This record gives sequence, C-alpha cells and structure tokens, in this order.
Amino acid sequence: MSQETRASDTAGILAHVPDRQLAAHSLDHLMELSPEMRGGAILEADAVLAATSDEAGWGDSAAALLAAADADGESAEQVHVATEAGEVFVVREGNLTAVAVTERFVLASLMAFDMRATLRDLAAGGPATDRAAAGAN
Amino acid sequence: MPKPHRVVLDRVSGYADEAAAFMRRRRHVRRPFARVYRANGSSVDHAAESETGAALLAAAGRLLALAATKVER
Repeated sequence: MSQETRASDTAGILAHVPDRQLAAHSLDHLMELSPEMRGGAILEADAVLAATSDEAGWGDSAAALLAAADADGESAEQVHVATEAGEVFVVREGNLTAVAVTERFVLASLMAFDMRATLRDLAAGGPATDRAAAGAN
Repeated sequence: MPKPHRVVLDRVSGYADEAAAFMRRRRHVRRPFARVYRANGSSVDHAAESETGAALLAAAGRLLALAATKVER
C-alpha cells in the first residue's frame, strides 16, 4: 500500500471518530435545542466524550442503566425512564450514545428526535449549523 | 340569541378548560415508569417492582442527582 493511499485511508477513518471537544460542542448544542434539559452526556462505546458534570459518574450510571435495559439479551435502542424528580432519556446511534436528564412531562418524541439528530451530526463531524458556517468561510 | 363571536369565545374557553383539567389529571395519575425501545420498533414497559424496572429507576435516580450538580466546562 502506498503512503498516499494509507494517508487518505487514515484520514477517512479519523474523520468518523468524534473528538471530545466536538462532542462537548454537540452537547451544548443539544442543550440549546432542548431548554428542558438539566444535564447530559455523550458516550462512545463505554468512554464518556462529554458530560455536563462529573464524567466518571455519568459514565458509570449510564452503563448501569444500559446494562439493565439490555438485561433480556436484546440491545436497547432507546430508554425512557420517568420519575417524580425528572425524566431520563438514553438514545443509541451506532457507536455513540446520548444521555439526557430533563424536567418532568417533556415531549418524549421531540427529545428523542433532538438527541438522535445530535448524534448523527456528531458522527458526521459536528452540528450541521457549524458545518454550514465552516463551508461558507 | 348571543352574538356570534360570543358563541366562538364560549366554545374556545370550554375547550381550554377541558384541556387544563386533562393536564391536571394527567399530572396526578402519572406514575414513574421505565420503557425500553428496541431496534425492531417494539417497546417494553418495566414495572418499578420488577428487577429490571428497579435497576433502571435506580440508575436514572443517580443520573438525576448528577444533573443537579453542574460544573463549568
């Protein structure tokens, strides 16, 4: 394999690996889209890419929630838990996972849509508005 | 005979009152729940008393506590 080919392949692979800064930016964007959100995190596999507070805590709790959701052997694509103190949403998209904690009685379908769109944008290289701005420059 | 705009106003007010009462009832009767959606489009509700439901609600409780603590990034 030539060096040129290898370099272009590597660039292609790296283009699909979201970095922590980009993930943090995506999380901020999600919180702007969803004013009912109190906090959240974005994970890649088991690693926390971004969180609104203690990253290790978000990683452990999200892993525990997903482990319980997957307990019957089938992988969960989305989890919605509502309590009297608030609501928790987890959405999986490919290798990425978004976790959001919101106020009570939030519109679940809208929240899940925003989370899924955020993960898709992140996998594609960040929020769509930023990509448009970068293209204009 | 009431004026036509009065009829419309009364009807809108009636619908608004119904909607407000529905939302009040919904808030009163809504209990904690844990719902898991699968890739094939199916969803499963786990009762809070079940093992999976309890685990989901416990993990959600920890996430809610974490969301209450914010740090500057």
